[in-house]
Amino acid sequence: MSLHYLFAELRNHPMRAFTGILSIAIGVALFVSLQAYADGYRQAARAPLVEVGADLTAQRQGTVPGKFEGVVFPHSTAPIRRDEINQIRQLPGVQAVAEVMFFWSFEPDRFVAGLGLDPSDTFGPSRLMAGVTAGRFLQAGDHGVAVADSTYAQQNKLTLGSIVLLGGQSFTIVGLADTSRAGQLANANLYIPLDDARVLANTALQVRSVFDIRPDDANLLFIKTDQTRVDQVATQIKQILGNKAIVSSGQSFAAELGSLFALIDRFGVLVGLIAFLFAAALLLRVVASSVWERRREVAVMRAVGWRQRDVMIQLWGETLVLAIAGGLVGLALAALTTWAMSRSLVTVPVPWELSPSPHFLPGGATAFAVTVVLPAHLTLNLVMWALGLSAAGASLIGLWLPRWIAKIHPPEVLSNE
Amino acid sequence: MSDLLQAKNLHKSFGVLQAVREASLRIAPGEIVAIMGRSGSGKTTLLHMLAGLERPTAGKILYLGEDVGRLNEDSLALWRRANIGLVFQAFHLIPTLSAKENVAFPLYPMRMSIVERSVRAGAHLDQVGLSDRAQHRPSRLSGGEQQRVAIARALVNNPPLIFADEPTGNLDSDTGDEILELFKKLRNETGAAFLIITHDDKVAAAADRVLIMIDGILQNEAGQDNE
Repeated sequence: MSLHYLFAELRNHPMRAFTGILSIAIGVALFVSLQAYADGYRQAARAPLVEVGADLTAQRQGTVPGKFEGVVFPHSTAPIRRDEINQIRQLPGVQAVAEVMFFWSFEPDRFVAGLGLDPSDTFGPSRLMAGVTAGRFLQAGDHGVAVADSTYAQQNKLTLGSIVLLGGQSFTIVGLADTSRAGQLANANLYIPLDDARVLANTALQVRSVFDIRPDDANLLFIKTDQTRVDQVATQIKQILGNKAIVSSGQSFAAELGSLFALIDRFGVLVGLIAFLFAAALLLRVVASSVWERRREVAVMRAVGWRQRDVMIQLWGETLVLAIAGGLVGLALAALTTWAMSRSLVTVPVPWELSPSPHFLPGGATAFAVTVVLPAHLTLNLVMWALGLSAAGASLIGLWLPRWIAKIHPPEVLSNE
Repeated sequence: MSDLLQAKNLHKSFGVLQAVREASLRIAPGEIVAIMGRSGSGKTTLLHMLAGLERPTAGKILYLGEDVGRLNEDSLALWRRANIGLVFQAFHLIPTLSAKENVAFPLYPMRMSIVERSVRAGAHLDQVGLSDRAQHRPSRLSGGEQQRVAIARALVNNPPLIFADEPTGNLDSDTGDEILELFKKLRNETGAAFLIITHDDKVAAAADRVLIMIDGILQNEAGQDNE
């Protein structure tokens, strides 16, 4: 293949080259932008989980107690048994499970959302450790201490050393934490050691009235999984926890994002491929007209000793260069579009089951959402797909048409008689 | 002297039309052979067959004793590239390439460095007296200059045999004379043989041998069937 001849042809037919490059560029830009948009939304949907370093949360829908007095379980949570937790830990793809006891405490003078956690967990609500603004976080072996959400502490005039009552038991505030820095899922006003929360639950009348609570139960699990098996694990957890299981994943959050995202998520690849096909059809037209105009040139090639394969490779090279140039221009356009997209904010509604406060209280679950910057960006994988598809399309076109023209019978074109 | 090319009883039909009938000829190295005849007499078809561009319906073409008809299309192209130079009445230069690049055109598919290709093309352009027009595109060259470029292109692989189809047909008389002189000069310098299809008596007069084509039948000047 002669690059010199190749570029001379492209240089001397600027409109033809421009049309070919533009058609591929539009196809690539549409394909890549749609995928980047869909990927960005998928990632945004995972944001609430990513904030706490988990891939899934699992809980089981519970029963509304007769009275909202003292410690109760939010009615989206029911006890998860030790054997069920162990089964979940054993599932293929499950890397770690953080157990949590989530509760509401209706004290005479106020409402408290409480969370019992194991501070030795490296993910889940234990990530709150990074949000401590005063004092310290919970430590292994702690009892009778609590970390308060700094906003809640301010509103209720709590400071380090203050004593708060939960279910009749007193807890000393040892730390204040900015919970907004440690995730929105299962946010609480007070964080206490998991063992203390279990004791509270086991002694709470309203909990015992509706559940057969046991000392080693939990009612909310944060689960880390192998990224390739998230959906599979979610399905298996639902089987373990039964028909009242509530398993939240990036996919379930995505379902909350609305119909536009659902459309792009479902049909984005299809629309992108159609854009590619449209671009390929335009390129086909460009190459076909080029090849037809150059019949005489091809006849000369054959007459002066170019083999059919030499002709094909030369014309294929021209098509490939158009496709690659178009692909690069398309990627540049897509990068621009993606950059613009990444300036926008996405609000991910969090399902009411994961709300920290009762939906019947003002500012409760109905307004609960996580707002993140749309994480749209070009991935190497996407770039390689786009370039690969355009090169493959160009190769098909660039071999099929020249294959036909390379078989030209020179005398038919060059004859004078 | 042994024959460079020998055609034996070549026949070419297009449907019911018999374009060439029982044509036989020999071309010796360094010989200039002219074939004359009226339009439609089958001259160009014969040339195309001899150059391997058209397959004969019957008959054989031997090049240095080898049967060219047994080669497939790609092998024929390689054989042409190595042994045959072609000059057309309409020049058939590539409009997007410079004169020098046009001369180098047959070398493009060959494994050859850009420098070597450029040197060879430049040398042959010089041989036809156009080294000062090397960077000009065909549209900026006169008809005579374009034909010189086409001749240099035909010579670039140093083939022993040049086929020229009406090489002066699109040129004025003086320019045609120049091209004719160039053929003679090149024959003397390179030892290549020339087979020239022509209507031009002056071209025929310059040839070592003249053959006449009448209704597809090749005859010598005496009006006898050739061979």
